[in-house]
Amino acid sequence: MSDDPQRDPRPVIMPHAYDGIQEYDQSLPNWWLFTLFSSIAFAFLYWLANFVTGTVADDRVALNAELAALEARQLAAVKNLDEATLWKMSRNAKTVADGQAVYASLCFSCHGPTLAGIKGVGFRLNDDLWVHGNTAMAVFGNINEGIVFEGKPTGMASQKALGTERVAAVTAYLLSLQKEGAMRAINRKDEPSQSTP
Amino acid sequence: MKRPGPIRESVTTIGQDGTRPFLQPAIVFGSWWKARRAVAWLLIAFFAALPWIEIEGFPAVFLDVEHRRFHLFGTTLGLGDLWLLFFVITGWGFLIYATTAFLGRIWCGWTCPQTVYLEHVFRVLDRLFEGDHVSRAKLDAQPWSDPSKLLRRGGRMIAYLVFCWAVAHIFRAYFISIPGLYPMITDAPLAHPAAFVAMAVATGALFFNFWWFREQLCLIICPYGRLQSALIDDDSVIVGYDEKRGEPRGKAAPGVPAGDCVDCHRCVQVCPTGIDIRQGLQMECIACTACVDACDDVMTKLKRPTGLIRYASLRELDGGKTRFLRPRTFLYTAMLAVGLVVATVSVLRVQPAGFKLSRAPQTELYAVSAGSVANVFRAKIQNKDEVPRRFFISAESAGTKVAVLNQSAGMVIEPQAEIALPLTVLVDRQDYRGEFNFTLRLRSEDGKISLLQKAHFIGPDPRTLQK
Repeated sequence: MSDDPQRDPRPVIMPHAYDGIQEYDQSLPNWWLFTLFSSIAFAFLYWLANFVTGTVADDRVALNAELAALEARQLAAVKNLDEATLWKMSRNAKTVADGQAVYASLCFSCHGPTLAGIKGVGFRLNDDLWVHGNTAMAVFGNINEGIVFEGKPTGMASQKALGTERVAAVTAYLLSLQKEGAMRAINRKDEPSQSTP
Repeated sequence: MKRPGPIRESVTTIGQDGTRPFLQPAIVFGSWWKARRAVAWLLIAFFAALPWIEIEGFPAVFLDVEHRRFHLFGTTLGLGDLWLLFFVITGWGFLIYATTAFLGRIWCGWTCPQTVYLEHVFRVLDRLFEGDHVSRAKLDAQPWSDPSKLLRRGGRMIAYLVFCWAVAHIFRAYFISIPGLYPMITDAPLAHPAAFVAMAVATGALFFNFWWFREQLCLIICPYGRLQSALIDDDSVIVGYDEKRGEPRGKAAPGVPAGDCVDCHRCVQVCPTGIDIRQGLQMECIACTACVDACDDVMTKLKRPTGLIRYASLRELDGGKTRFLRPRTFLYTAMLAVGLVVATVSVLRVQPAGFKLSRAPQTELYAVSAGSVANVFRAKIQNKDEVPRRFFISAESAGTKVAVLNQSAGMVIEPQAEIALPLTVLVDRQDYRGEFNFTLRLRSEDGKISLLQKAHFIGPDPRTLQK
């Protein structure tokens, strides 16, 4: 508002008209323009910092670094695993309970809720007969990397979904029902699990 | 006052060069003002009290964003109940539509936090430190080198900061609770740097808003203000000037008839958004009733009837009668009622547990053994409560006898934990008569929770089993 009382305070009507609609020539509030220009300046600085100078680290770089660190930890954990460790884990109640929980959330769907196996899908796991290797490390490896049957992966490889720790826990759960040195190797055709719950 | 009065074509508080003319409105302690003050103090007390009131072990309102738990008057909602927010937001929308259709911007003038705090806290400080509108305007013109300005305006600034600081803390308490807030106040700022910065920013933003921004928020930012032209019609009750009675304004003289308006400009002086209400309904008007009090005061002194400026609809001011029953009010009220019922029912139906069911992935649809037919499901059970609970799952069916394997002992679920559980549902071979629908019931040990999930039992053609 002008302080000059002589001046007509009424705003000027702009000469143009669209569909008979005219507009006044009025100023935007300065504070409003300030927010507009600051956001433009911010966008420019943001672009500079993120995409030109690289001052702000790219999210993908940070993500890849963290994934690599995670993989390194997993690999180190696998390296430290051996028969003795897995058997020891299988006698630890906490580890076995953790493994059972993992089993109940994933593995049960093929091997049955009671480990009895499902015909044509998953072997029985609560007996002492093992088709794909009769050692603790073999069981761990099968869960970790999966099994290829007739040229097709069976969807068991769990390293990515679970991570070493939980794969080891599931292994421990299965081993907890076994006796060390009493696991017997058999052929696929002799696997007796093709029963139902 | 040499300044030209407000005009309809421009906003008084936006200068022609974009600067911000700062208003120093006068105050009239009229009857509407007293009523509004009472409402405002009640609202402030309510806002400040809620975090202190404990209901079932939690503050009455505790929006625990950090743990994604929302405690509302004894009910605890998790992130999974977020869909309820839909009804809160639409309900709020319907409520605003309905009230506006009936009573115009009653929200703005009486209950909006911007008005409540500005009029009943911060303008009180204005008067306390700097006197009435005349001496405040004088102070505006004085340079800061003047020690009296430094003292009075500086003092007001400190008082503003204290109040903004307090409001920011109360607001924060809604999200971290009083016990969570207390150590943040008593510890050194560096012990909670993020909280300290957040609080400083909030205090600063509030200070900026109440010290300088004020009515600009209502005029330019508030979306509700922008919707007015669509929500108000000729029958909505607004704050309006009775032109028929008031005009022509000024002094009557022989041969010059005059209305009741004496053109004293009192209504303009008191307006917090700087309009002249006598120019009719304007988008700046927040219906605060300051001009009603001002005019009534003048009319009383002149021994004329009050109500030259009053709550009235445009139709009433035009000599007609306000119609409260019209399609718009019916529609809005009906929508509000529907929203209220749906919101109430859905909030009441929220259970402190979750139960979801799906067919177990990568399994056979069914398995047949010597004794029974089995289906394997995968249940996800969530305990949303604050205490561990034991749950049982049972199967119910109208026709076929059906049972859940190995679930007689139930399972204990820790507070706020979720488990995935394989469920094997069995039907005896001799009971099996083909596929059927059944229900799985999740029940808590104390019987307080009972959730149902419908399921379908798949099996072979029963004739293949009859041997």
